[in-house]
Amino acid sequence: MKFKLKIENEEFEIEILETPEGVKVKVGQKEFFFGEKEKIEEKTVAKVKIPKRNFEKREILAPITGEITKILVKEGDLVKRGQTLILLSAMKMENEILAEKEGKVKKIFVKEGEKVEKNQTLIILE
Amino acid sequence: MKILKFEKLESTQKIAKKLAREGKKPWTIILAKEQEGGYGRKGDFWHSPKGGLYFSIILPKSKIENLQILNFLAAFCVAKILKENFKLEPFLKLPNDIFVNGKKICGILTENVIFGNLKYSVMGIGLNTNIDKFPKDLEKKATSIKIELKKEINNEEILKEIIKGLKEIFVILTQTR
Repeated sequence: MKFKLKIENEEFEIEILETPEGVKVKVGQKEFFFGEKEKIEEKTVAKVKIPKRNFEKREILAPITGEITKILVKEGDLVKRGQTLILLSAMKMENEILAEKEGKVKKIFVKEGEKVEKNQTLIILE
Repeated sequence: MKILKFEKLESTQKIAKKLAREGKKPWTIILAKEQEGGYGRKGDFWHSPKGGLYFSIILPKSKIENLQILNFLAAFCVAKILKENFKLEPFLKLPNDIFVNGKKICGILTENVIFGNLKYSVMGIGLNTNIDKFPKDLEKKATSIKIELKKEINNEEILKEIIKGLKEIFVILTQTR
């Protein structure tokens, strides 16, 4: 199939040829080939393994270095969105850490009175 | 200044945290004539009968370091008002308590609520203003402006002075840091 295409006052002569190996597109003197090779590459990309990640598991991290004043849940508890999980006293201020989503308390890594560092995992919800 | 006034609340802090989460504007004040479950740091009970000044402020979003300094300076701000307006001699027990004649007269508590990536901050102040008498277990530990001066003072005027002072501190903090 041959046709002419005008782009911004410049005219291009385009020819599309189907061959057993694939499709050849001629634009003026330049040739572009779309064949099996491209298909194989496409499959290769699609087969690249993405590491599995559990998006349901949620870590509650310490927002600031401080001391755990109170733990208001225990392992196995079902918590609602917005429920207070932990009180952390830091820089002479009280910090109330709430559950961002509902879930089950899978693991508690800290104890009341324990000093924690910023970004330390406190609780895992699932 | 927007002041939400209540006759009686369990705690102005609790309401302030709830309203902050619901999107109430910074510097909204929650004021109660009486609290049934007023509390201080580490959940300590704050005796809050009628006559005292109990309020919480929804703070503007700010760096945690600025809030920490504001928390400290709030005590200086209240102490200055007590000294200049009433000629009292306040003693600061940092970070959050003010004493007069060896007895507690004011407590300040700043709380941050962390909800995922969001953070809300509120500051609560309990100032013993027009309290005539404390229960037996607090008599030796707490005092009020009325007990010290033998006269009543205007709670709302003091409230406005405190807020004015805190706003000035906040502006200086956020402009210089």
